[in-house]
Amino acid sequence: MTNRVSRRNFLVSTAALGGLAAGSTALAACGGSEESGSSTTAAGGGGAAANTLTFDNWTLYIDKPNDDLFGEGGTLAEFQKATGIKVDYTEGINDNNELFAKIQPLLSKGEPIGSTIIAPTFWMAGRLLQLGWLDQLPLAEVPNAANLITSLQKPPSDPTGEYSLPWQSGMAGIAYNQSVTGREIRTVEDLWDPAFRGKIGMLTEMRDTIGLIAMSLGIDLENPDAQDYQPAFAKLEEEVANGQIRQFTGNDYVDDLEQGNYAACVGWSGDVAQLAVSNPDIKFVVPESGGTLWFDTMVIPKGASAEQIEAAGKFMNFVYDPVNAARITESVQYISPVQGVQEELRKMGGEAAALADNQLLFPDASTLASLQTWGTLSEEKEQQMDEEFARISGA
Amino acid sequence: MAAATTDDTGLRRGRFAPYGLLSPGIIWLLVFFLVPVVMLVRASLSTKPSRFAEPVFSWDFSNYGSALSEYSDEFIRSFLYAGTATVLAILIGYPLAYWIATCGGRWKNFLIGLVVVPFFTSYLIRTIAWTSILQDDGVVTGLYRLLPWVGSDGRILATPMAVIGGLTYNFISFMILPIYVSLEKIDFRLTEAAADLGCTPWRAFRKVVLPLSLPGIFAGSLLVFIPAAGDYLNARYLGSPQTSMIGTVVQNKFLVQFDYPQAAALSLVLMVIITVLVLIYSKFLGTEGLAV
Amino acid sequence: MTMAEGAAPPVVAEVRPAVGSDRPTRAGSGWGRRVLTAVAVLAYLWLFLPILNIVVFTFNDPAGKYNLSWERFTLENWAEPFKDAQLTEAFWRSLVVAAVAVAVALAMGSLIAIALSRYRFTGNKVTEVFLVLPLTTPEIVLGASLYQLFLGRGVVLGQVTVIIAHIMFLVSFVAMTVKARVRGFDWTVEDAAMDLGARPLRVFWKVTFPLILPGILAAALLSFALSLDDYIVTDFTRGEFTTFPIQVNNAFRVSFPPQVNVLATLILVVTLILFTIGPLSQRRRGAAAG
Repeated sequence: MTNRVSRRNFLVSTAALGGLAAGSTALAACGGSEESGSSTTAAGGGGAAANTLTFDNWTLYIDKPNDDLFGEGGTLAEFQKATGIKVDYTEGINDNNELFAKIQPLLSKGEPIGSTIIAPTFWMAGRLLQLGWLDQLPLAEVPNAANLITSLQKPPSDPTGEYSLPWQSGMAGIAYNQSVTGREIRTVEDLWDPAFRGKIGMLTEMRDTIGLIAMSLGIDLENPDAQDYQPAFAKLEEEVANGQIRQFTGNDYVDDLEQGNYAACVGWSGDVAQLAVSNPDIKFVVPESGGTLWFDTMVIPKGASAEQIEAAGKFMNFVYDPVNAARITESVQYISPVQGVQEELRKMGGEAAALADNQLLFPDASTLASLQTWGTLSEEKEQQMDEEFARISGA
Repeated sequence: MAAATTDDTGLRRGRFAPYGLLSPGIIWLLVFFLVPVVMLVRASLSTKPSRFAEPVFSWDFSNYGSALSEYSDEFIRSFLYAGTATVLAILIGYPLAYWIATCGGRWKNFLIGLVVVPFFTSYLIRTIAWTSILQDDGVVTGLYRLLPWVGSDGRILATPMAVIGGLTYNFISFMILPIYVSLEKIDFRLTEAAADLGCTPWRAFRKVVLPLSLPGIFAGSLLVFIPAAGDYLNARYLGSPQTSMIGTVVQNKFLVQFDYPQAAALSLVLMVIITVLVLIYSKFLGTEGLAV
Repeated sequence: MTMAEGAAPPVVAEVRPAVGSDRPTRAGSGWGRRVLTAVAVLAYLWLFLPILNIVVFTFNDPAGKYNLSWERFTLENWAEPFKDAQLTEAFWRSLVVAAVAVAVALAMGSLIAIALSRYRFTGNKVTEVFLVLPLTTPEIVLGASLYQLFLGRGVVLGQVTVIIAHIMFLVSFVAMTVKARVRGFDWTVEDAAMDLGARPLRVFWKVTFPLILPGILAAALLSFALSLDDYIVTDFTRGEFTTFPIQVNNAFRVSFPPQVNVLATLILVVTLILFTIGPLSQRRRGAAAG
């Protein structure tokens, strides 16, 4: 058996429960998917650690040929073919705060977490960096980083660009179900239309929800410490209090949109790109006052071995090759951080080529100009805003 | 085993044996229930200089003041929703338990077993199933909108009604079973005798059956009210920002905001209020209360 | 009536033949009875509506990532119940946690029940009250206080802490359930056995254990369900360890695959089978003894 299952979840088993934990590992492995038994690395030779890379990512965030993460022709299989390194890939991240709560007790004590690479959103990567919990990336192993779009090189969350590299990027804007709204939605103010009372959704991701509202009030996001976001919070609180806002959710808003529970909500471009295929009534728009541009990153929390860090670098380099990046984009339909993906998609033809002309994946210059990325909040300001947001959203 | 003698009640007087038998479990409860509660008290009196710093114990009672003043709405809502759910559970659960006990015949065990079945699918998944059943475009909401006082844009999800309904649903087995157990002990020939003596069925029920089943109602009420008051999943899935309960706040403060002192204060306030309510309730129902 | 007895959790084992008889009584005949029956039927429908929804949706082929709106019939989900690796691993972990926690809690809880129902000793009243406390404390307080304990002691949260927590809330539950079941037993049979020269340990296994076994089995079944289903206490003690309900909840931000329904239905079917076997075997034992 590989160490895939035993890796992190049974890390903590003490001697007393050791036997039981071993039993459970066996059980879990039986239920796990096929990759466990198959494909040991060509360059193998015993030491599994040296040729295995662990990557904990968000759910449904990489290509899955034939529903199998490790399927033939997929990014993970191709990477193993090219480098001999097996990626121990897990989909354990659902929420930045949840991720933080889970790794904080370990990293604050200087203990390693199970994964070499994790994929926090840029602001969480910034927090981890400020707390001193990240290792430097082996940039020498990542020459393809030159392919990154310039706006994502050395972002404010990682000013030197030595600690984080982007995984995928996307926009937060307004998603709506035209069969429920009965009209086009163009602005954040449209969300406050009394006709939609109780049918408007917000994201639990504070930066996207508050960001959109703040921009509609003319408040800038790029230098947040110089701004006062109180008007945005006040607006949000008002709309919660008068019953305009129905719920705060994660990606499950896509379901609420489809079920007609929501008329419109703050949403993410990639979700809508995927959803719109099956339901043409569901649309995504960047509000006239602008949307937020966010990106998830790849970072290496402290505690990884030199071999693991090197392997991580090779993986980052691999996914920044436009051919490989295009394969991921075709599947996840978010904005790729890599230049040249659009051309690669065109070359692939068929449905992939159609994506190359999709505004949600390749927004035009005027859309891009209307997007803002949050600057780094001071710890104090972030805490105060988090608390205020939790209070208003009923969390 | 220590020497023991049996007295006329059949109970033994033990010197060491009972303590030996008790110790593993009781020590476990001392270490993992009592000590943690003490730690919680300690945490509630601490201050945290900044979000990611270690809390410092400082006899800081201000956490309690701010807990009560900032989150009074959530507290009131929690107790209101849990109380309503408890009453609903009695109103639905009692007739059902009574029906099984009196009309069940030889199917009794099967019928009471049926009550427990839903309890064996995950409570979280049942709650999510309700969001599917009650969706705005669904049949149930469609029928609900036909009610004269509900408009065509009426909804069930994201309302207090949905949250209370969810709480009632998720905990009602804890009401039905104790009521059923207490009804089962009643010899219903008593009511027949009362009827034979010219007593109306309703009067017979009120004078004979109801008092005898009060212990079941009491136990059931506690078993519904307590988990309902501390719950946060029903509010999360079936509610809106305006229906959030105190459990939601405690969970968020502990696991997302890392505001341990205030979170600890909030949970202790919840615990104290519940204990006081339980004591008052037990007095009111005339039972002996916690003193065994 | 005491609080301790009152709070004794729903005990299936308590469901024994009525004092009266199994024939329907005359109580509440006529109209009252018809209304009562109608209420009961409606209550059952309400209880089973979500279960029906869960089972029906195992056969749904959802359009998107959320299996909550009916699209079209498929058997595929049943062909691949373990397709979602994260979910499946969490499912097995839940079973392991429940198995270990229930085994330990059964041993500890049954010993407490024996001590309380067989012996008279200083402190038994205090012990009974103390046992009730974990049952009358909201789960969120149990979870939060354990979280504080582990955090303060620098214990890394994970499988072990989850099992510790589950044992904690199950011990009281088991003790109450078994105690309710063995209340009023005639313990003199033990003396009789010892008078006949049997050694204490032998007496336990040959006399005491068979007597309390039905109570233990009922407690085992319900504790297993409580552990498997637990969300709140687990949420506070898990660290990065995920159980089935935790995984479903956390992944709900991103997806709600049909496999959730399939695995939930599997649990339901297995417990239903255990339910049918349990009483049957007890009845057989009872018949053999009688």
